[in-house]
Amino acid sequence: MNGIFKSLDDYQKPGLYEIRLKGHLDDKWTDWFDGLTFTREINGTTILTGPVADQAALHGHLRKVRDLGLPLISVFQVEPKQENLPHGNQHQS
Amino acid sequence: MNIPIIKTKLYIPVPRPNSVQRPRLIEQLNAGLDRKLTLLAASAGFGKTALASEWVAGCGRPVAWLSLDEGDSDLLRFLAYFIAALQTMEEGFGAEVSESLKTQKLPPIESTLTALLNEISNIPYSFMLVLDDYHVIESKEIDSAMSFLLEYLPPQMHLVIAARENPQLPLARLRARGHLTELRAADLRFTHSETALFLEGMMGLGLNADEISALESRTEGWVTGLQLAALSIQGRTDIPAFIQEFAGDNRYIVDYLVEEVLQLQPDHVRSFLLQTSILERLNGPLCDAVTGQNGGITLLETLERGNFFVVPLDEKRQWYRYHHLFAEVLYVFLKEEQADEIAALHGRASAWYEAHGMAAEAIRHALSAKDFARAANLLELAWGDMRRNRQEAAMLAWLKAIPEELIRDRPVLSVVYAWALLSGGELAAVEKHLKDAERWLETIEADEKNNSFLDKMVVIDKEEFRDLLGSIAVYRAAKALALGDIPAVIKDSQRVLDLVPETDYLRRGAAAGLMGLAFWTIGELETAHRIYAEGMADLHQAGNVSDVIGGALALADIRIAQGKLHQTMRIYERSLQLAAEQGEPAMRGTADMYVGMSELCRERNEQQQAEQHLLKSKEQGEHTGFPQNRYRWRVAMARIREAEGKLDDAMELLNDAEHTYVSDFFPNVRPIAALKVRIWLKQGRLNQALDWVQETGLSSSDSLSYLREFEHITLARVLLARYKSGRKEQHSLQEAIGLLNRLYEAAEEGGRIGSTIEILIVQALAHQLEGNLSDALMMLGRALDLAEPEGYVRIFVDEGSSMMALLEAAVKMEISQTYGSRLLAAFGRKEGLSTASQSLGEPLSERELDVLKLLRTDMSGPDIARELIISLNTMRTHTKNIYSKLEVNNRRAAIRRAEELGLF
Repeated sequence: MNGIFKSLDDYQKPGLYEIRLKGHLDDKWTDWFDGLTFTREINGTTILTGPVADQAALHGHLRKVRDLGLPLISVFQVEPKQENLPHGNQHQS
Repeated sequence: MNIPIIKTKLYIPVPRPNSVQRPRLIEQLNAGLDRKLTLLAASAGFGKTALASEWVAGCGRPVAWLSLDEGDSDLLRFLAYFIAALQTMEEGFGAEVSESLKTQKLPPIESTLTALLNEISNIPYSFMLVLDDYHVIESKEIDSAMSFLLEYLPPQMHLVIAARENPQLPLARLRARGHLTELRAADLRFTHSETALFLEGMMGLGLNADEISALESRTEGWVTGLQLAALSIQGRTDIPAFIQEFAGDNRYIVDYLVEEVLQLQPDHVRSFLLQTSILERLNGPLCDAVTGQNGGITLLETLERGNFFVVPLDEKRQWYRYHHLFAEVLYVFLKEEQADEIAALHGRASAWYEAHGMAAEAIRHALSAKDFARAANLLELAWGDMRRNRQEAAMLAWLKAIPEELIRDRPVLSVVYAWALLSGGELAAVEKHLKDAERWLETIEADEKNNSFLDKMVVIDKEEFRDLLGSIAVYRAAKALALGDIPAVIKDSQRVLDLVPETDYLRRGAAAGLMGLAFWTIGELETAHRIYAEGMADLHQAGNVSDVIGGALALADIRIAQGKLHQTMRIYERSLQLAAEQGEPAMRGTADMYVGMSELCRERNEQQQAEQHLLKSKEQGEHTGFPQNRYRWRVAMARIREAEGKLDDAMELLNDAEHTYVSDFFPNVRPIAALKVRIWLKQGRLNQALDWVQETGLSSSDSLSYLREFEHITLARVLLARYKSGRKEQHSLQEAIGLLNRLYEAAEEGGRIGSTIEILIVQALAHQLEGNLSDALMMLGRALDLAEPEGYVRIFVDEGSSMMALLEAAVKMEISQTYGSRLLAAFGRKEGLSTASQSLGEPLSERELDVLKLLRTDMSGPDIARELIISLNTMRTHTKNIYSKLEVNNRRAAIRRAEELGLF
């Protein structure tokens, strides 16, 4: 039971996310991805990283990606650097 | 809500003359024409709209088109546009439904959709409806409405949905049943030959095979990428170098190419493209206003011809829009290069829209410019129209976007805010805004000239400001009524009458109306009637004839409670005449008057006439009815069915009525739930009736109020039925008699003769059950005396066989010769009881009649035994006796025979 509550709780908490896109996106788009920093990899992908307030904010980012027609490669929740939790909660989709 | 329709959203885009035709896709699409749904699902820029427009132009079927935008996530607006789109193809389609969307705040959605489906099935040809950009819809309500429509979609309609993501519809089910054709990104990508055809055949760029392959692989057949690439290549001398560089670059294609394209443009074109990217729709003069240049029209036409992602929105080439993705990227460039200019651009757009009378767009751009003062001014100018069109929801959303302190300095807008909140049912915040407005008025009063603080006050609508105190009091009274705070309604509406001049008929009328409703609610009927009538006279003076006609409903309801049926009929007739004097189209309220007349005819046992009035009401169209009419019509029809003994039909109508009920500030003096309980009692469903008593928490020892009178009389009826059921509930009878005595006193004191007659009738039946015939006849005698001059019939006859027995006794004892005999004749004709009884060899016992009633329901034998608290064996004996007396040998036949004999 405890585990369930914990993961539900995580749903509401701000988390660090990593959104990987195919193609290089300029920094001028950062205004549209509030608070995320862009890292452009040599392999032609862009990683948007940063704190995402909640699920609604995350979906807002994904919607923007959709509207730009940018191929979405992955979305990760990044573990904050802290003591290891017994049940790791890495969300991946 | 009156939803203005923007025509350009319904425009069917014409395929571009120099676009690549895609026969392989068209073939797939045509193969799916007989299915219900075609889904074009792919990311932005895959050419969904272009493909759909190519398809519909050549498919040979009539087509309706709707381009959705963010604002369409509101179900009512969505449906209004849905209907408007079909009207471009089939004139007059869904007229009634769309009218009902205007008059109703919350139409029962399934019945609206069913009406739409019916209209669709009446269209005599096969057609297509395209919903473009469906991904902007974020509404469960709309998704489920669409699912419902698809489930029952008539075969002549084919639906096409284009979206950037899968719509929230039951796609798996549709796919499994073969109702769905899907074209997705993989299908929409340009193939190698299509790419070549586009770059060479259409654009004539003179590329070699390697260059074409390079572009194909870099864009992965993404048509927007290819189009942009073509634009960037046109007019270049260094094509091979450009392609090489582009192919080797990882940048977001649109970014890369738009930058290239912009670099190729002369300055004025480049700046035009960037600056107009703030506009949702473009037309020449608007663009000129925003950019401060001339020649917008010519430029737009040039851009369209040059393949610049400019889409015409009408045949006359007045309005255009940019391709969404293109506009989005242009806007990002604008923001990078001219961030400081953006507010000014929105400001100029707002001014242009204001000058051209398009308030909504003007307000939207003012809000985007964050020029809240301007937005507030515009709102204050627009609110009169918005109130008339009942656009309180839009008003409320805009007001919420403006900082509160700005509204606080605007007394008129504060009162508008209160109105919008009140209309939206957000009662809690109403008072705060009324107080804000009041504070200014007090400041003015306290210190006429010397208060520099007053300089801060902003008033645009000076006319409204003059009588603002009156408006404040009106809204306060309306709020109090919505909260059920009757003393406050009376106090505040009195304040209006004290404050506003004799000639301010509108506010006086509104206040008197509210006060009348308050007195009605507490059962002071004569006062209520007098004040309400005065209010209506004022509204008539103010020219609000429609409100006067609607108000007749309240006056009529009050007169009915007072037992003045003749006067009530005259109220309806006068109002109909008033409506007729206004000429065509039929005045709102006409439909309501016919429903009222129908109820009176039914009471007089003129059943045919009653039904005819209901038909007439329907013929007027729902838009001629006030919000309550939908439920009132159903109740009236239910009572006619009840009189015919069709109890199941009556129950169904009452269930419908419950869904369509709206209070519209009227006290709910005849709750539908209680009407249903009365039907259950007639059906022998005592348990359900008892559940209702439990749920409502009614008790025979409650203190009495007019508002609950109808429920209390119903409670007395339930108690009598419980006593009759013989469940060792002896005290029920005394409880009922005690309650009825108190109800009688209260009704008589309040002058409610209509209620008094019913209470006396139930009292008579109670005493009859008690075996006290003399008291029973005394009560009946009083009821007859009160009822005779007004011509009541059904109020007696609906009571059934026990009442008939009592009336027979009354006639025999010469308590009421003529009237009594007339009533008895009504039994004979409608219920056929007296004649039917004669044709029965041996009459059924009370208990057998109870069993018979339950046999008519869908209850099983054991259930019936349980309901009547008898053993299954006893129940079988009863059934056997019933069969033999009715000379039948099964349940179905028994019911049929009993119906013929009028035993129910």
